[in-house]
Amino acid sequence: MASNKNPYIPELVTITNIIEETPNIKSFQVVFNDPERMKTFKFEPGQVGQLSVFGVGESTFVINSPPTRMEYLQFSVMKAGEVTGALHELFPGDQMGLRAPLGNWFPYDMMKGKKILFIGGGIGLAPLRTLILYMLDNRGDYKDITIIYGARTPPDLCYKEDLKEWEARSDVNLILTVDTEYPGWDKRTGFVPTVLNEVAPSPDDTIAITCGPPIMIKFVLQNLAKLNFKDEDIITTLEARMKCGIGICGRCNLGSQYICKDGPVFSLAQLRDFPGVV
Amino acid sequence: MADTGFIPKEKWGAFIEGLAAKAQVWVPCLDGDVVIFKPYSKDQTLCFERPANSPPKGVIFPQSDTLFAFNFSKDPENPQKVMVELEEKLDFPKTIIFGSRPCDAKGFLIYDRPYMQTDTPDPYYKGRREQTAIVTMSCQSTYAGCFCTAVGGGPADKEGSDVLITELDNGYFIEAITDKGKEILQQAAAESGAGHEAEALKKQEAVRARVKDPFCANGKPEISKDLFESDEFWEEELSKCVSCGACTYLCPTCYCFNITDETTFEKGERIRSWDGCMYNHFTLEASGHNPRPTKFQRFKNRVGHKFLFYPEKYNGVIACCGCGRCIRFCPMSVDISEIVSKLQKQTGSASNGK
Amino acid sequence: MSLDKLKQIITDVMKEVDVVIGYKQGFDPLHATPCFITKPEQVDQVIWNPLCVQNLASYLTSLKKKVGVIVKGCDSRTIVQFMQEGLIDRSKVVVIGIPCTGVVSVRKVLEKVKHEPIEEVKFSDDGMVIVKTPSGETKMALSEVAPDKCETCQYPTPVLYDHLAGEPITSTKDPQSVFKDIEEFDKKSLEEKKAYWEKEFDRCIRCYACRNACPMCVCQDSCIAESREPHWVSQKSNLTEKMMFHMIHALHLAGRCVECGECERACPMGIPVNKLKRKINSDMKVLFGYEPGVKPEDKPPMFTFSVEEKNIEEHKL
Repeated sequence: MASNKNPYIPELVTITNIIEETPNIKSFQVVFNDPERMKTFKFEPGQVGQLSVFGVGESTFVINSPPTRMEYLQFSVMKAGEVTGALHELFPGDQMGLRAPLGNWFPYDMMKGKKILFIGGGIGLAPLRTLILYMLDNRGDYKDITIIYGARTPPDLCYKEDLKEWEARSDVNLILTVDTEYPGWDKRTGFVPTVLNEVAPSPDDTIAITCGPPIMIKFVLQNLAKLNFKDEDIITTLEARMKCGIGICGRCNLGSQYICKDGPVFSLAQLRDFPGVV
Repeated sequence: MADTGFIPKEKWGAFIEGLAAKAQVWVPCLDGDVVIFKPYSKDQTLCFERPANSPPKGVIFPQSDTLFAFNFSKDPENPQKVMVELEEKLDFPKTIIFGSRPCDAKGFLIYDRPYMQTDTPDPYYKGRREQTAIVTMSCQSTYAGCFCTAVGGGPADKEGSDVLITELDNGYFIEAITDKGKEILQQAAAESGAGHEAEALKKQEAVRARVKDPFCANGKPEISKDLFESDEFWEEELSKCVSCGACTYLCPTCYCFNITDETTFEKGERIRSWDGCMYNHFTLEASGHNPRPTKFQRFKNRVGHKFLFYPEKYNGVIACCGCGRCIRFCPMSVDISEIVSKLQKQTGSASNGK
Repeated sequence: MSLDKLKQIITDVMKEVDVVIGYKQGFDPLHATPCFITKPEQVDQVIWNPLCVQNLASYLTSLKKKVGVIVKGCDSRTIVQFMQEGLIDRSKVVVIGIPCTGVVSVRKVLEKVKHEPIEEVKFSDDGMVIVKTPSGETKMALSEVAPDKCETCQYPTPVLYDHLAGEPITSTKDPQSVFKDIEEFDKKSLEEKKAYWEKEFDRCIRCYACRNACPMCVCQDSCIAESREPHWVSQKSNLTEKMMFHMIHALHLAGRCVECGECERACPMGIPVNKLKRKINSDMKVLFGYEPGVKPEDKPPMFTFSVEEKNIEEHKL
């Protein structure tokens, strides 16, 4: 964010489209009220924004559309608390506030020329989506792309349109799973960490990127270690309660690092410095 | 030093009143049996005998502050559409904090790094900070729990102050430290400070010698990470903590805050208000998950922030000014200096100082 | 009461509990601090004197273990109230009672010695407190520097205990005097009362020390003061919000406040917050003949419902 600007003042955006991803997750596509701003706005895959419902408050979400597709910015919201509840009440045409971009991003440059393994669970696919789409838009820069994605049940899988498209592509290896048997589901069942073990991808020349519920991340990291992935080749993106978004207000810290500013993207090697996190 | 002055006791009141004519002056006032900073007025009973119960941090970082106001209106073309208009106010008056202590002044330096010396400076803090001069009184005594020298400060430390005043037997010795301070000294119409310096220095040194140093580490205690990461340590030291926020709200260096929307019908404000890492809600996520669910983890973070994380980020600077308020006013007498001395690396002597 | 006897009791109690909560010397000669004793060698740190002000029973609701706890007469009412409200498992608590002749108010002592640093504090057998500061020794009667609650104390001996360290003491204070200060305050006009409370609550910094130190404030982390849903109190720092919080605090304690005075003692801004709660307690006594924390078999009046109350005239519909 530019230093001459008041970092607390949101810019106004308007919802252009809302997609009901799952029974409790909606994706909001927004554009800046100022059409010029839509052209100058820059961000990197993995960066987050604070969405405001004025009168209710702000909450942090990753921009899950890629910087290569700038018709709109997309945010996916799982209904959980006050702000997400209010967001779910909105309609296309409604206004919101947006403070973005905040935080760091996926080190996609250092991933060039490598094989990429995405491991996501539930709404944890959101931050991965921005990078997956970015990579697909720059497909030649990366080798094999494998995506292991799971949710509790088939209706809980996000981005069903994307999944269909990825499944159809020959240059993407998509592995879907749901926790247990479900009527009409003919793909894998089982938890994501277990499926990871079954797939047993090779760590050679591969970067693993994971995001999901804390418990999933915990076991995915353990299993990646068992598969001999190096800590510096494992990347995750973290979530925490955030307020200021600029590394001051104090609640999202891991030791001296603030998830909102120094994160949310960390390598496992970095996280090893913070006992109790992984 | 050339920029010094002397004000006889009988002209002290007029000096403060003179400053108040040109700026908003916050002074320590007696209210019941507590001392708090309030805007100067003739009706107040000023109290310089002991440090204020709460530091003057609220002058620059108010307990609650409006970030912006928002007004809702209906789009006349399309009444179903609600329009919102944001309004920010960044206009801060010239202010003097008069009668802070060296520890209080140092507190603002701890704020400055995260609030101003970044690529996203905080305009509210910065605006007030730049408009504010800090006139500090050197301490004439030590106070329950205080340990400024143990964290690199001192009872007559100039760091962070624009003016340092030392009370002498017949008056006040004034040292202007910055340009803002020189301006105040000029306004004071003070007598020459020459000839009073020796008495001031002697008074300052006498108090300095009495300040306890529980760390005995030349103002730079280093924490052993092994013990810091031990759950048993925190359980043993912190069982008595009731996890209130007195320590954080009275701390000159604690700068955490909350942001909330407070609304009435068609208008509202987004406000920033003091918050503290000792509260359960501080890190509680909407999902119900809390990364710091126990008071032990929360206090560990508090100590960690001051003695490990902040120094790690800012060149070894400890984010504690040793004012002792968190000890003095803790309902359960939790003593952060005792805890840190136990956490110290066993290089030097970890025994109690004076 | 001999300290040796107390230590002996603690040593014995430790055989049947996981932790014993007592007092040890705090950061300076004027402060005691709670200590959680889990190892025999810690028993020697234990002290007992008028500096032992904290209400240690406050910790009981947050501990899952089997606990021994040292209580003064006033503190013991907390345990009785917990029992009335079903907040503790009595079989997991061993109560070590101490007959108490009064404690000090740190605030009052500091006022006496003009807030000078304290070098030494001694207590004489004839009820004097001797406080040494750089300017010399100041002698004061314990009764002069005791918190207000001691002045009218009706329960110097704990109302309930498993072990008593010392001989029981009977109160010599007039039971009619308990709410004398409240009756006096009540004589003020509405405007005077309003002005009084506005001045006092203006100092509040909303640190919630009063709430967190209160043994009966059992909502703790779910307190309305910070809740957004419902959003009854805003985070603005103004008199209205501060008063709103304190009124909610007081009303949630109606017929529950055991008058240990921890709220007021904990307040770093010297706000007489206990006065509100005592006012409500005095009304409770008149309306329901009820005194919190005295008889384990009592039911707090706000926990029960009667169609007709003896002392309340219902509005006729």
